[in-house]
Amino acid sequence: MIVAESLGKSFPATGGSRRATPVQAVKEVSFEAADGQITGLLGANGAGKSTTLRMLATLLRPDRGQARIDGHDVETDVLGARRQLGYMPHEAGIYPRLSARENVHYYARLSGLPAADARRRTGELIEQLEMGDFADRRATGFSQGQKTKVALARALVHAPRTLMLDEPTNGLDVMATRGLRDILRALAERGHCVLFSSHVMQEVAVLCDRITIIADGRIAISDTLPGLLERTGQGQLEDAFVVALGHRVERPARLGG
Amino acid sequence: MNLRSVLVITVKEIVDNLRDRQTVFYALLFGPILLPLILGGSLAASFKQLSIDFEEVTELAVAGAARAPSLMAFLAGQNVDAVAAPDDPRGAVARGEVPIVLQVDVGYEQALRRARPASLTIHLDEADKASAKAARRVEALLGAWERTNDRLRLQHRGLDPTVFDTLDIVLDDVSSDGASGQLLASLLPFLLIVSMVMGGFYLAIDTTAGERERHSLEPLLGLPLARHEIVLGKFGATLAFVCLSGLLCALSVWGLFRLFPADLLGSRLRFDAPTVAAALLLALPLMPFIASLLITVSAWTRSTKQAQTYLGALMVLPMAPFFVLQFLNLGPSAWLMPWPMLSQYLLLERSILDLPLSAGSVAASVIGTLAASALLLWLGCRLYRHERILA
Repeated sequence: MIVAESLGKSFPATGGSRRATPVQAVKEVSFEAADGQITGLLGANGAGKSTTLRMLATLLRPDRGQARIDGHDVETDVLGARRQLGYMPHEAGIYPRLSARENVHYYARLSGLPAADARRRTGELIEQLEMGDFADRRATGFSQGQKTKVALARALVHAPRTLMLDEPTNGLDVMATRGLRDILRALAERGHCVLFSSHVMQEVAVLCDRITIIADGRIAISDTLPGLLERTGQGQLEDAFVVALGHRVERPARLGG
Repeated sequence: MNLRSVLVITVKEIVDNLRDRQTVFYALLFGPILLPLILGGSLAASFKQLSIDFEEVTELAVAGAARAPSLMAFLAGQNVDAVAAPDDPRGAVARGEVPIVLQVDVGYEQALRRARPASLTIHLDEADKASAKAARRVEALLGAWERTNDRLRLQHRGLDPTVFDTLDIVLDDVSSDGASGQLLASLLPFLLIVSMVMGGFYLAIDTTAGERERHSLEPLLGLPLARHEIVLGKFGATLAFVCLSGLLCALSVWGLFRLFPADLLGSRLRFDAPTVAAALLLALPLMPFIASLLITVSAWTRSTKQAQTYLGALMVLPMAPFFVLQFLNLGPSAWLMPWPMLSQYLLLERSILDLPLSAGSVAASVIGTLAASALLLWLGCRLYRHERILA
């Protein structure tokens, strides 16, 4: 369960003078992601998705507001929050000179599992995520799909209640994307809280139980897909997104007639 | 602090980097083996060329040996056997057929009998080191023979030979090992320190700036670990490589200096096992210092390229004391002792020259170096606690 309340974060302007106005990456973000559901954080590039996830992952300290992961405050109980959370950043960031198995096992050990448990858990995940073909190969030259699987296995290795993924389907082909969807659905069915960010409407529409639209560092709207469509009076998520951002949906004039 | 996490990170970084050829080359081959071989080997070779071994039996090409039987007998007594010179002595030396030719000129015997200066010519090729060295040996022997004969001539005429000695100059070199001994003594700390720095260099960059560049730092920082555990884990791996490089370098230096002729190294200069072990022991506090310096500087940089540039510039640091001590005559004074690297240079040099080391100096060196390491590590942990580490 993730609860974010009025999160705000700004960064010093880069390349400018010290007195340049800081960049407000996240202005006011409040939302909840419940257990047993997949919540999509939908927004354009630069809307503040990654900064929000990084604050929830305790990697950035919020300037304002607060957030809790399963009741653990991300500022005051950093290690508690991290123990509940599996975080897969935008880039897989796996170690190229280690095998897939070693990559996962390393994270298992760092998450506090004893050696034998870590080996067993790594083996389970390799089977569960169908990584057997490449589990003992060094990660140099892995396909994007293989890298994503390793990164996902690493995020899941300590059996966290909450899973957070930053644009996980980036660079994945159709089959790999479908495979990842199945995995996330299965996790949600088992009661995990899954939060993932994306800018791909179709992705979010197909997968998410609840959609939170973020624009310009603020939450524009948060609801189920049918709820969103109803509240915006639109028939498609893309149109609902445009309307939620305060724009009008322009329909091309019908040709002929 | 969870020591198990620290150890897990250390072991992973060591295994990971042992699979990297560049890191392994610099840690296990370049510093410990190639550098001592290149530096020590060339020094040994030049010493061998410069020094003359009067015990060594050599052949000397002599033209007109029959004119100087007593001189030939003297030379034979000095381990120099005369052989017949080629017909064209100058040409033969120029062509490199023989290193030098000693030519006993016509009229040599007559001049000797009349107590006039008897003429000898040494044909040599000064550009050729072997020829110049052979000529110096023969010149020295001829000088000795000449001095003996001078004295005999004067005594024959009833004169005390010492009448002609206006000055009696005594050179008392208290260093006992001369300039070359000093240079050799500072070579071990130089090799040891450069080798240790090179040993940890690429691993430190790979585990900090490299990790950030590969985007593997972000998920790592999201794990339930304290930041100082991550820094200490990486420090541990760097320290292991620094120690290994230092140990291997000490071993190869010990092996290399066994090839040096003992009299060349002077009476005090020693590179035997106890000396090398003592040097390694004195350099021990430097290992955490070097590891923490490498980790902290490369964690501070934004990319591996920048880390390489900064640490490359920093490589001057281990070399600086070597050059400073060559130019300035600095003794082990109290204010120099707490400085890492400089104090180790001074202490190691004295230890190799078999000079006494004061317990105070050693303690100041150890405490100063360890304090500097702790400060650097603390700075490294601060860097990892800062959000900027991800930027």
